[in-house]
Amino acid sequence: MNQNVTDASEFSKTSLPQLGQLDTLLRCHICKDFLKIPVLTPCGHTFCSLCIREYLTKEPKCPLCLNELRESSLRSEFLVNEIVESYKSSRKQLLESLKEATLTVDAPPIDITSESDGDDDIQIVATNKKRIQFRQDIVEPNKVNKRVPKNTSTFNNVKKCSKTTENLAQCPICQELFPLKVLERTHLDECLTLQSLGKAPKKSASLKDASSSKISDILSKKQKTTSPYEKENFHVNRYMFSANSGDRQRLPKTNFTSMSLNQIKHKLSSLGLPTNGSRQNMMVRYNHYEMLWNSNFCDAIAPVSESELKRQLASWEASQKTSNLPSSNGNTIASLMKRSNNGSSYQRLLMDFKTDKFERKLWIDMFGREFKSLIKEAKRGMLSTAKHEEKSSQGKAQETV
Amino acid sequence: MGPPDSPYAGGVFFLSIHFPTDYPFKPPKIAFTTKIYHPNINANGNICLDILKDQWSPALTISKVLLSICSLLTDANPDDPLVPEIAHIYKTDRAKYEATAREWTKKYAV
Repeated sequence: MNQNVTDASEFSKTSLPQLGQLDTLLRCHICKDFLKIPVLTPCGHTFCSLCIREYLTKEPKCPLCLNELRESSLRSEFLVNEIVESYKSSRKQLLESLKEATLTVDAPPIDITSESDGDDDIQIVATNKKRIQFRQDIVEPNKVNKRVPKNTSTFNNVKKCSKTTENLAQCPICQELFPLKVLERTHLDECLTLQSLGKAPKKSASLKDASSSKISDILSKKQKTTSPYEKENFHVNRYMFSANSGDRQRLPKTNFTSMSLNQIKHKLSSLGLPTNGSRQNMMVRYNHYEMLWNSNFCDAIAPVSESELKRQLASWEASQKTSNLPSSNGNTIASLMKRSNNGSSYQRLLMDFKTDKFERKLWIDMFGREFKSLIKEAKRGMLSTAKHEEKSSQGKAQETV
Repeated sequence: MGPPDSPYAGGVFFLSIHFPTDYPFKPPKIAFTTKIYHPNINANGNICLDILKDQWSPALTISKVLLSICSLLTDANPDDPLVPEIAHIYKTDRAKYEATAREWTKKYAV
């Protein structure tokens, strides 16, 4: 899926490290990626629609507060969806410009040593804890911020229609005319933020102007087909005009135990799903499709077509098949073991581990050398951090003197 | 690393982590590969920790789980023991438990 794994800690070395909090808040606690089709639980927590739906098939409780939770009580959050999407579209640029800012400001040199990574981890844990506590407080101002442009844009549209030219001034950024007060109070800020978004939203770009799909083209500000204002307000507008159409019924949960094989086949084919595979395969297929369907048609602000859902189902099934094959355990450890020519015994060990029959001795026999070198490394790290601390405390002492 | 305010201080403990295919919906399997004297960790290295069993939540991360294991090393839970003998000593003769834990740490983890 997403090849470029991003992390909130990327902001820690910029001129605005507190943005890391916003970055973490916009992520799903289950998949740790940015919220995709966010849904709200009655207990006030937000997750990706698919993540929480899948978890609820296993445990009927909220992952964050462990309160009881049912799938039917999930509600979509269009606003959060648009906040995440507009943030995602500007994140890369934001990060780059903030990094540049730190460089030009000539910040005090930061020791980027291997030991400091450990500290970072601990910091992340700490912010995670804070995040849960302050969650509500932080989300609220966001909502307020996002509502401001919404109001002004309706206001602007009204003004444009009436074409009253009293006290109008041109915005230096988008070249549009606005009443002076609006321009000063809200529009300039809005326009500056929207300009920093730069990258136009994917869907509007591909629909309205397929030729300008390259980011560089969009950035070059030479679009003639759509005004930049329209593009930059894509998320605001989509939120404003969003409505849960509800023209498709939610797919019900199905109890397969009382159904015959033919009935199951009939059920699948009525939805246009493939009917190959065993009874178990078909049940799993239906259940996953039901999840995709409900997430798409009940929660998504811009639902995709049924054929797209079927494509997603097919690719999910394909991924399930490969992950169940024993040979696909070909991760780094497995390749490491092949190198030392006892791959088969490693596989056996791994199997034992999965079934709770953990053989400590065998693991030590197998990884003893690696463990020893890791211990050495860890100790070296400890020594050098100790020296570091000494040095820094000495430095501070000198400063105070 | 054993927590500094525990009898495991100075030791380096190794753990084996196995991610099931449906992680994070199911908890990771974590076990000590280094021998350790602790009421909630048995001779095979299996850890008795609620968040690795029924209290698992997909909102947890490996770093949080490791933090929990560290705090388990500082504050054992003798009321839900995996090794009753060690739990008994922990409850009745704390000094003896700490001495043995330190000894094992020196022997196996340093």
